[in-house]
Amino acid sequence: MTRATSTAAKRQIKWKYIANYLVIGVLTLLFGGLSLAGQLGQSTVYLLEKMSISVILAVSLCLVVGFMGELSLGHAGFMCVGAYLGGKVAALLSDLLGSGNNVLALLASLLVGGLCAAVCGFLIGLPALRLRGDYLAIVTLAFGEIVRVIFQNTSLESFGGTLGMKTPRFNRNYLFLFGFLLVLATLAVIQNFLRSKHGRAVTAIRDNEIAARATGINVTKYKLIGFVLSAFFAGIAGVLYSYSNYQVESSKFGYNYSIEILVMVVLGGMGSINGSIIAAVLITYLNTRLATVLTGNLAVLQNLVYALVLVGIVIYNNAPALKSFRERVNLKALLSKLKKPVQDPAVIREDAAAWDRIPTKIDMDDLLTVELQQKKAAPADADSDGEANSDAASDETADRKKDET
Amino acid sequence: MEFLHTLINGLSLGGIYALVALGYTMVYGIAKMLNFAHGDIIMVSGYVILVFLSMTGNPLLAIFASIVFCILLGVVIEKVAYKPLRGASPLAVLITAIGVSYLLQSLAQMIFGADPKMIVIYDFGSVSIGAFSIEVKTLLTLFASLVVMISLTLFIKFSRTGRAMLAVSEDRGAAQLMGVSVNRIITITFAIGSALAALAGTFYLLKAPNMNPTFGSLPGIKAFTAAVIGGIGSVPGAMFGGLLLGIIECLCNAVPVLSPYTDAIEFLILILILLVKPTGILGKKRREKV
Amino acid sequence: MRKILIVEDDRALASEQRRLLQDAGYDADVLNTGFSDPERAARTIAEAMPDLVLLDIGLAGGSGTLKIGASGPLTGGASVYGLAVQNAAQMAVDEINEAGGLNGMQFEFSMLDDKNDASTIATNYASLFEDGMQVSLGTVTSKPGLEFKNLSKEDNVFFLTPSASADAIPEFDNGYQLCFADGNQGAAAAKYVNDNLAGNTIGVLYKSDDVYSTGILNQFKDTLDDSVQLIEASFMGETVASFDSQINLLKGCKFIFMPIYYTPASQFMVQAKNVIAPDAVYYGCDGLDGIETGVEGFDIYTIPQEISFLSHFNSKATEGPAADFIQKYVDKYGAETLNQFGAAAYDCIYALYGAMKQAIDNGKEITADTSASDLCDILKEIFNGGYSFTGVTGEYANGAQTSMSWNANGYVNKAAVKYIVKEAGATAPAK
Repeated sequence: MTRATSTAAKRQIKWKYIANYLVIGVLTLLFGGLSLAGQLGQSTVYLLEKMSISVILAVSLCLVVGFMGELSLGHAGFMCVGAYLGGKVAALLSDLLGSGNNVLALLASLLVGGLCAAVCGFLIGLPALRLRGDYLAIVTLAFGEIVRVIFQNTSLESFGGTLGMKTPRFNRNYLFLFGFLLVLATLAVIQNFLRSKHGRAVTAIRDNEIAARATGINVTKYKLIGFVLSAFFAGIAGVLYSYSNYQVESSKFGYNYSIEILVMVVLGGMGSINGSIIAAVLITYLNTRLATVLTGNLAVLQNLVYALVLVGIVIYNNAPALKSFRERVNLKALLSKLKKPVQDPAVIREDAAAWDRIPTKIDMDDLLTVELQQKKAAPADADSDGEANSDAASDETADRKKDET
Repeated sequence: MEFLHTLINGLSLGGIYALVALGYTMVYGIAKMLNFAHGDIIMVSGYVILVFLSMTGNPLLAIFASIVFCILLGVVIEKVAYKPLRGASPLAVLITAIGVSYLLQSLAQMIFGADPKMIVIYDFGSVSIGAFSIEVKTLLTLFASLVVMISLTLFIKFSRTGRAMLAVSEDRGAAQLMGVSVNRIITITFAIGSALAALAGTFYLLKAPNMNPTFGSLPGIKAFTAAVIGGIGSVPGAMFGGLLLGIIECLCNAVPVLSPYTDAIEFLILILILLVKPTGILGKKRREKV
Repeated sequence: MRKILIVEDDRALASEQRRLLQDAGYDADVLNTGFSDPERAARTIAEAMPDLVLLDIGLAGGSGTLKIGASGPLTGGASVYGLAVQNAAQMAVDEINEAGGLNGMQFEFSMLDDKNDASTIATNYASLFEDGMQVSLGTVTSKPGLEFKNLSKEDNVFFLTPSASADAIPEFDNGYQLCFADGNQGAAAAKYVNDNLAGNTIGVLYKSDDVYSTGILNQFKDTLDDSVQLIEASFMGETVASFDSQINLLKGCKFIFMPIYYTPASQFMVQAKNVIAPDAVYYGCDGLDGIETGVEGFDIYTIPQEISFLSHFNSKATEGPAADFIQKYVDKYGAETLNQFGAAAYDCIYALYGAMKQAIDNGKEITADTSASDLCDILKEIFNGGYSFTGVTGEYANGAQTSMSWNANGYVNKAAVKYIVKEAGATAPAK
């Protein structure tokens, strides 16, 4: 590898790395300016608040689902903890200060809500992440339900029971700006985490847990760090939710809401932070705007289309039989054909330093297939029956690849 | 007396959970996936019964039709949504299953609407022995689910197909080398699981006659919990877990103070069991091969 | 020069017409577009003595329109309530408009879907407000209503909700209820029990995760005499696996209070019909309204026990305003969504209409341009000033419908009807 390609790659990486901050930063300034100038309607402001909450939720879930390869079905449960406990702190502080519009009180409740959610994440993750398999999905599902039931049965004075808890609403013209800043903070923490040693460890575990363990990675520890981080930001989103509503009510945070967040992450490409952001914004927009347009059967049709798109995208992105098709018809491949016909493997490896180039499972499979094809003209596509063998083969190559790097 | 009553009710509810849990556990054991759409088969079976009952008025025919329809549906879902993903990451399969579950629910809502529809399949009345009175359908559910569970155990133990299923769940590669057609076994598993879910749907409908598009979610999640408590992948585990969960639910509901927390208690027991014995009560520890 | 007067409510069109006519050499003038009542228009025309009046025939909104907004579940499980409110409110608005509106001013009603989810309210409310909503029916259900009351307080928008019954809904001075508040229902039910069943053991079946159910229950328990023994049974969730345990708890009771909605109630009744004594009474609140038609396939005549509830609307009325309403509603929308939510919404529109009319009679000015906040102040004064309204809800006794009024807390005072859906042992009437 020459010095020139290496620095060129590095420069490219830097751009990619800050692109999403720039876009969101510019949008923050733009909407902030519009809001100050009184040009933003109430409904737009509310929509922006909702979008920022969704983006934080989607990005934090993306860390677990996309990069850790674990399934969490209780993300709304962590949000619920944040919303109630952060909201309680906000309510107490606003009683003390006489107004809900205090930035310090906002920060304090964000911290409390986030930390409480993180503690729950730790308690839930500790037993579940020691195990291999789908246990996290099961335990988080249970956790989400337990949290909901507990808050529903609280007294009227403490957390409001079925009536829900009153929370102070932050000045509606500016809350979305805090939402945007929190999105930036979430991105900064999660993206840096993914680029760090810990993040690499997490993705290594996703791609091959046994190999990762063999190289001395403390699997439970790294999974737990990622999961707690994700729970923390879900809690933050919860506090933001409590500030954007006058009322927090636990039936909102059920299984269906967790699935809605999951849909955002999956539509975003499962291993892509930017994809999650775009999907979160899009789905929030559609859910809010279509609700005023679609009624009756059309509204049901919307759910039907979500479900179909979800199944379609997952099958398209993951079906082994469609692998060669994906390689041919794929935006990245088309772009790279336009730019540089052959990509230097060194650049790919160098690229991996960028957070969005951390190969997802799909990418890794693609790389391996290419390699296999080169080496032994690719065995006929692995049917289910041959799956065990091809799995073993790919595991081997994965290990070998790790050794090389 | 009161306790005995609650116990019988719990066992009969548990029988339903066990039938559904068997579907989860068999699919997990053989196809290595959590089929989250399994609960919605219960809902589909309910609507099929509704349609056939209003068409023919014959409950037995309606139940038979629902079983046939659910078997077909289960197999079609497997072929269309899950088979293409064989060999892909478990996460992708799991998410597809959730998508299928949503798909079934919104389809049902489109066709039948969100309003509840009551289906009274048949009114069995109740029997009393002295002061002790109990509903016939409760006993029937308990009896039928026990018969199904016993015959399923016998089927798996002694029939050729059953043993092939055991072999595939033990070691898919080895089973294949021994001449077992893995694809066929997986299809059969889905068919049996769906048939059990349809049957469970029938009994569930006897207990909870109000149909709506999310009818299957709750028993689905409960049965799934039961399967994990018993040890996912283990057939006796699913039966045991189902019965246990049914009894816990009825006992909690019978105590007014605990009643509002019933769901939370059930899920807490799940977490506690996973904490102490991660493979579930009757689950076997599986060694991960490199 | 010939004088032409243009009467046109579209400002742009009017000025264009004037320009064309002036270009053609006429003395054209536009009657000020802001005119608000036909009498004034007639006076102006008389004073101006034009040779020709160009009168816009589309002047249905000659005095503009007054916009009424609402939010309710139009899709999902609770949609039957939202649709009932939407239909009935629209029916009332159409009737008022056909009869000439409020001094020529037309009403316009628009309702957005909130799926019974409080988090949709912020955007729904903002859309309605930006669309020019001047007065509101609030929300159909309580959970979103708790959010709505705060938002409408910020802008000082008056709302009179047909059915969001949580006690906390009319917390602020801009919110009023046309339905009974949950607590009042609980208290009324408890008084009934105290009067009729002192010293007995009664049962209650409630939904522990529902604000409506727990709200009624708490007040019920507070008001209940110590002499009455209460056995509580609860359930949760939208689908209930089995009521076996609850039935077992309640099987000795001759009176079962059911502050729940009709869907789970119907399931309980079907499951319990052989176990609960046939001469027992199921006594509910307005949530039971619609039990005879709401669940397709449920036949109340298979239930031996008496089913009754406390309500403000008699959906089987054969005489009086309620009967007229039922007739009109069923003709227009069918019987599927006929329930007290719709009746209450119908009354809400007429109550608002009546209050505004009274304000105008008192010398207040209400036009299409009146801001929501000004209108709110006007309406608050009327509603607090002993405004009395007679609609289709409330009791019909001795050939007359009783009226309703509001107290300063925003709660309604009106007669409740113990409405017996079905007597014990009643069989289906011959068709």
